[in-house]
Amino acid sequence: MIHRECGVLKTTYEADMALYPLPIARRAVGAVAALFFLVLPFSVHEYYLSIVNLVSIAVVGALGLNILVGYTGQISIGHGAFMSVGAYTAANFATRLHWPFWLSLPLGGLMAALVGAVVGIPSLRIKGLYLAIATLAGQLIIEWTINHVTWISGGVQASIEVPRPRLGGFEIASQREMYFFLLIFVVVAITGTLNLVRSRVGRAFVAIRDHDIAAELTGINIFRYKLTAFAISSFYAGITGVLYTYYLGIANYEQFQIVTSIDYLAMIIIGGLGSVLGSIFGAIFVTLLPILIRYAMEAFGGLVLSPQAVLNTIPNLRLILFGALIVFFLVVEPEGLNRLWRNIRNYFRLWPFAY
Amino acid sequence: MVDWQFFALLLSNGVLIGLMYSLIALGFVLVYKATDAINFAQGEFVMIAGFLVAVALGAYGAPLWLAVALALAVMIAFGFGLERVMLRPLIGRPIVAVIMATIGLAAILRGFGPLMWGAETKPLPLPIPDEPIVWGPFFIPPIQLLGAGVSLLFLAIFGWFFLRSRQGIAMRAVADSQQVAMAMGVNVERYFALAWAMTGIVSALGGLIWGNLLGVDVHLALVGFKVFPVVILGGLDSIPGAIIGGLIVGIVENVAAGYIDPWVGGGTKDFAPYVLMILALMIRPYGIFGKQIIERV
Amino acid sequence: MKRWLPIPIGLVMMSGLTLGSPGSAAASHEIVLGLQCDRTGATQTVGVHLCPGYHDYVRLVNAKGGVEGHKIRAVEIDHEYKVPQGVEAYERHKKEGAVVISLYGTPHTYALTQKLTEDRIPGTSPGFGRADATDGTRYPYVFPLAASYWSQAGAAVDFAKKQLGGLKGKKIAFLFFDNPAGREPIPVLEDLAAREGFQLKTFAVPPPGVEMGAQALDIAQRYRADFVIAHLFGRSPSVSIKELKRVGYPLRKVVSFVWGSAEADVEAAGGFGVAEGYHTMQYAGVGTDFPVLNEIREMYKKEGKEPSKEMASTVYYNRGVMWAAVAVEAIRNAVKAKPDGKVTGADVKAGFEKIKGFTLGGLLPPLEITPNDHEGGGWVQIWQVKGGKFARETDWYKAYQDVVAKHIQEAGAKK
Repeated sequence: MIHRECGVLKTTYEADMALYPLPIARRAVGAVAALFFLVLPFSVHEYYLSIVNLVSIAVVGALGLNILVGYTGQISIGHGAFMSVGAYTAANFATRLHWPFWLSLPLGGLMAALVGAVVGIPSLRIKGLYLAIATLAGQLIIEWTINHVTWISGGVQASIEVPRPRLGGFEIASQREMYFFLLIFVVVAITGTLNLVRSRVGRAFVAIRDHDIAAELTGINIFRYKLTAFAISSFYAGITGVLYTYYLGIANYEQFQIVTSIDYLAMIIIGGLGSVLGSIFGAIFVTLLPILIRYAMEAFGGLVLSPQAVLNTIPNLRLILFGALIVFFLVVEPEGLNRLWRNIRNYFRLWPFAY
Repeated sequence: MVDWQFFALLLSNGVLIGLMYSLIALGFVLVYKATDAINFAQGEFVMIAGFLVAVALGAYGAPLWLAVALALAVMIAFGFGLERVMLRPLIGRPIVAVIMATIGLAAILRGFGPLMWGAETKPLPLPIPDEPIVWGPFFIPPIQLLGAGVSLLFLAIFGWFFLRSRQGIAMRAVADSQQVAMAMGVNVERYFALAWAMTGIVSALGGLIWGNLLGVDVHLALVGFKVFPVVILGGLDSIPGAIIGGLIVGIVENVAAGYIDPWVGGGTKDFAPYVLMILALMIRPYGIFGKQIIERV
Repeated sequence: MKRWLPIPIGLVMMSGLTLGSPGSAAASHEIVLGLQCDRTGATQTVGVHLCPGYHDYVRLVNAKGGVEGHKIRAVEIDHEYKVPQGVEAYERHKKEGAVVISLYGTPHTYALTQKLTEDRIPGTSPGFGRADATDGTRYPYVFPLAASYWSQAGAAVDFAKKQLGGLKGKKIAFLFFDNPAGREPIPVLEDLAAREGFQLKTFAVPPPGVEMGAQALDIAQRYRADFVIAHLFGRSPSVSIKELKRVGYPLRKVVSFVWGSAEADVEAAGGFGVAEGYHTMQYAGVGTDFPVLNEIREMYKKEGKEPSKEMASTVYYNRGVMWAAVAVEAIRNAVKAKPDGKVTGADVKAGFEKIKGFTLGGLLPPLEITPNDHEGGGWVQIWQVKGGKFARETDWYKAYQDVVAKHIQEAGAKK
């Protein structure tokens, strides 16, 4: 991308697996961090920051789902429900016990991890389609429970308003403040995932995905690692749910229904299964797609269609494009945007002497 | 009313609506049986078929037989085309890929239907009376009777097809082992396409009947969610299983609504079948009639 | 493979967006209205008829010279009934400089309440959203405008009382969609049951509500309800009409809340012949016979066009006109106080609170919005399916507002 990598020879496995394989990568990361922490937030309108904020939340959730689906090979259609578990846990702690966000947030994640591990138990016996449907059932059962147990949902409206997150005496309210708040979690989530997948646990996940029986023969405890994968993935989902809650100021189960689970699956498929970078691409892409289509239609749609028809066309077109992209990436480019990105980079790696 | 009578009425309700669910589940089972593909867009198939009939009847004033013939033709062609364009490249890929591809297809169809024909709810009138047939204490709506009849008819036809006809036996061979079937001179791809076309037929009639019951708009696709408990309970690859699974789900829903709802103060109708399904997954994952070859880990 | 943080691509896309987006071309004195809509999500059958009504009214106002000489512009954003998209839509509206935002959806109203209040932009939520937002002192920037579910519950019970000639010892069934919005009226109904001495039993219809044979059977055969109050969404209202009819329950003993009361619901149930007798509650007038609708048809004729086909679905279309009309009236009040047209959200809020006796020839109820009462009274009409169309059964009325007020107060005290 920005740097070249010639002249670097690795002599140890440690060097090969390092987080920053090249010295220059460290500097590139530093530059990117500076861009996001110092330049971006002060150079664009708050509206664009609000879009970045939605992307940030989605990145955390997509990373979590990718750990489960992309790295461990277990499908889950219950990601949205795990978010709601995190959201309601944190909301209850924040409103009943008035705990600050830095306590309620990890608690939300942990509760989601616990529930996720329970929903993941069927994965010990079944896989593929059966697991997909079992997690779908988990999604519906969690939704139903939150909807009907007022002790959890805080009343018939099943909505809990939470106070804004506070740090000391400082209240995080505006989109710009929220941007920094969320960016920290994005950084932590990305570093956490990068480190997880190159650890012993991460390699066990990949082994289970690639061949579960072979993995078992090499001494990997499949039961334990599958549940771990469900728990970690759900922990991310729970954190995502809490972030949504603090971002919107409300925990509401209607935003964590099956469509949400499917959106997140779409993110990691379009972005690239089993790739951190892919999760980020996917989250950016799926969040921006409707907005970009809207801008495009607002700019050019009027040339061919009446204003009313434009308004009717935008959303349906978005839905069609959304589905078509999922199908396209599955059929044509199973490794997603991440692969496209790598192709581009490999081309420029030797450019202009590509022979 | 005497309680046993209420119970009997709930049962009759459950049986009729259950057979209507079976009608949708049949399409799902057919595809799985022949091609091992999972169709998460079954509800959307039904919706598109419903749109076709309703628009042909309403906007173009076509006679019913023509509208149904049109829907059948389009759905068959759609099944063929879909297999060719989308499913065939996915053969041999992990099951997750097929599941997600059909989820993507579902989004396409949900956007396409309203874009083409408008999002407003369209009636789908059929020349059958609305008044229920009263038989003793039972009220039987003709449309549900028709739906149940079509379901049972399909059961008979597909039963004959898979047991007796040459194509059906070939299709079973393909389902058993694609490689062996190929070695025996069966054109596997042709049978894949045939299976999708048959799903098209089932969906077309499902769309006709459910469309009459609910009216046609995107909500019609929601009946697709009823499929999963039905097929898991009955067995993913079993035609009689789809019927029995439908009956179980229909009856469980009605009994749950009649006897459990008052206790919990909420609707358990959609919840109960899924709980039952989880139990089934733990105890007998291949369903009541399914082949016992589920891969355990 | 190098592992470094890939965020720059996001930045590139972001900056592309910044450059490529049309700037908020707020011409001087142009007043912007934000409209959130759902044309592809769970409530699309409502949105595709309602939102065109909104746009047509805005066009009509502009065709007649705007609001006190200032042009207005409606920016619609489809949020697919998803909350994060709703928040994005809100931020976009804020960027465009909207002085009033017509919200769409109960969860969205909950999610945006705090932001609206902080940014001082009034948001309207007619016929959905939070019932306790009626209290303008607690939710200064949320305007339910139309009867909340609590007011609808009061009105429905009152209607049942008149139909049955007294409620003592009667059995009322509440058939509701099993989600938060569906459950919202239950506390009010329970209070009214205690006060009027009727028996109340609730029947939940879980989403998606495509089947409710057992509930209908229970209502008609086991519980033997004297009257049914239905509060359903999506496709389930038409299913309820069919199922109740099937088990032999007379539809003239059914009254539906506002979201189960459109032409589409009746059509999908098999047409007006099948649903004969069905009572529907409305918060805007039904039918084509209103002066403002004639003006819109005139406007289309002058442009040499056919009136939009959405006008045929009068229940939702008229509601769209109403959403726009009340918002425009609030802007008008604001502009009257600030003739240069540079009104802010706070001005429009004050404008809303001055609305009184604005009925558009009977399309709107006689709203009277005050700083305390953002609901404007809780008015509804009952229309009955009769002889192939909706016939007006009652004039604008409201009932049991004291009970509703008590609940609003309790909700306020709880926080």
